[in-house]
Amino acid sequence: MSAPVVETHSLAKTYGLALVLRDLDLRLPSGAGAFVTGGNGAGKSTLLRILAGLEAPSGGRALVFGQDTRKLAARYRRRIGVMAHQSFLYPNLTARENLEFFAELYSLAEPRASADRWLSRIGLAEVADSRVRTFSRGMEQRLSAARAMIAEPALLLLDEPFASLDHDGAEIVAALIRGAIERGAAVIATAHGVPEIEGVEFAVYEISRGRLAEPAPKEEVRRGSRIRSLLGR
Amino acid sequence: MSGFAAVLRKDLRLERRSGESTLALLALSMLVLVVLVFALDSARLRSVDVAAGALWVAMVFAGMLGANRALLAERDNGAIRGLLLSPLDPGTLFAAKLVAALIFMAVAEVGAVILMVLFFNLEFDQSIARLAPVLALGAIGFSALATLLSAITGRTRGGDMLLPILAVPIFVPALIAGVKASAAALAGAPLSSMGDWLRIMIAFDVLFVTAGYLLFEHVVGED
Repeated sequence: MSAPVVETHSLAKTYGLALVLRDLDLRLPSGAGAFVTGGNGAGKSTLLRILAGLEAPSGGRALVFGQDTRKLAARYRRRIGVMAHQSFLYPNLTARENLEFFAELYSLAEPRASADRWLSRIGLAEVADSRVRTFSRGMEQRLSAARAMIAEPALLLLDEPFASLDHDGAEIVAALIRGAIERGAAVIATAHGVPEIEGVEFAVYEISRGRLAEPAPKEEVRRGSRIRSLLGR
Repeated sequence: MSGFAAVLRKDLRLERRSGESTLALLALSMLVLVVLVFALDSARLRSVDVAAGALWVAMVFAGMLGANRALLAERDNGAIRGLLLSPLDPGTLFAAKLVAALIFMAVAEVGAVILMVLFFNLEFDQSIARLAPVLALGAIGFSALATLLSAITGRTRGGDMLLPILAVPIFVPALIAGVKASAAALAGAPLSSMGDWLRIMIAFDVLFVTAGYLLFEHVVGED
């Protein structure tokens, strides 16, 4: 097994008295994908924020590329792509300008060409010169996926990447995730259920009461999610 | 360097598109000067001391607005997180934000100086040229201070209210020096006679540009 891209040891996070994550151990090598499922407030987004270095854990350790996420140097941040609930995009810039800006931040050789290539991949080439504020939520979500992946990061942290997407949009984002895994990136995505991405095997973890359950067969988790949704829990 | 240029170009592009900061700064400068002109009796309207004071009041108010706006765009859609997750060094981000705030403030200053000359019955002569380095030093110091503080106050509720409460008292030494040096410049004194005031302003600039560059990563962040 190759060296892990992501490794957590007894990771814990509290907000005041609320214990969100506890004793969380996770290990993910390059070229592997993991879905983290769980209900609202289970701690899925918190886990991703800690791995991205946006929040410090309250206990335990989170390592990305062997580095503590509390102090990730620029050369490691460069290798992480994050897609969150917020798109991180500038509403008054066009789709092309947004991608070009992030391509420049990541020092890509040809920012404009990279932006255009990604706009074609996400099916937004025709609205490349439209401002993001005119986009639907689904279009913004696709653009956000391109922003996260434009520098072809070695680790992708995707918080509910299929939220707000119609069938075509979900297919596009699924293809991007599949492509990332095929080129050797590690992918951790959160979801309420377990989406199907053709041709890619994902480990499925469930966060429950702050703890991460062992990887479970996808069918089992999907059945569990279905039962909980029927019970309204 | 490419990160600095990218952020600065993006900020200027956003400003060119909306014009929000520059227009608001110019409008505020004009408002302050008009109020002061009408508040003062006509006998004092040729006083260079009063003109210099009025100019600096306008500048401080405008600078506050400019610094607040320079970071406002980064709060939309959590864009600041996108920047912090990128390889961009926080010190470089501070430098780009400082230069953007400085450009907006310089535009407002040019407008404010023209209005000051008109409202206070002064002449467009050499004294205005001597005023330029004084205003430049003041703008650098105030933009650095306000950019650093707005990164802190932007994360709090009522941050817009908090910024002037924090910034103005800290800026007082440079403000006094700026008013005194500006009055001397408008009175026709040579730059060499304002040495002490200019040294205070240079020290203030060095202190807050350095502090901002080093501390920005600790104060900028999530809401």
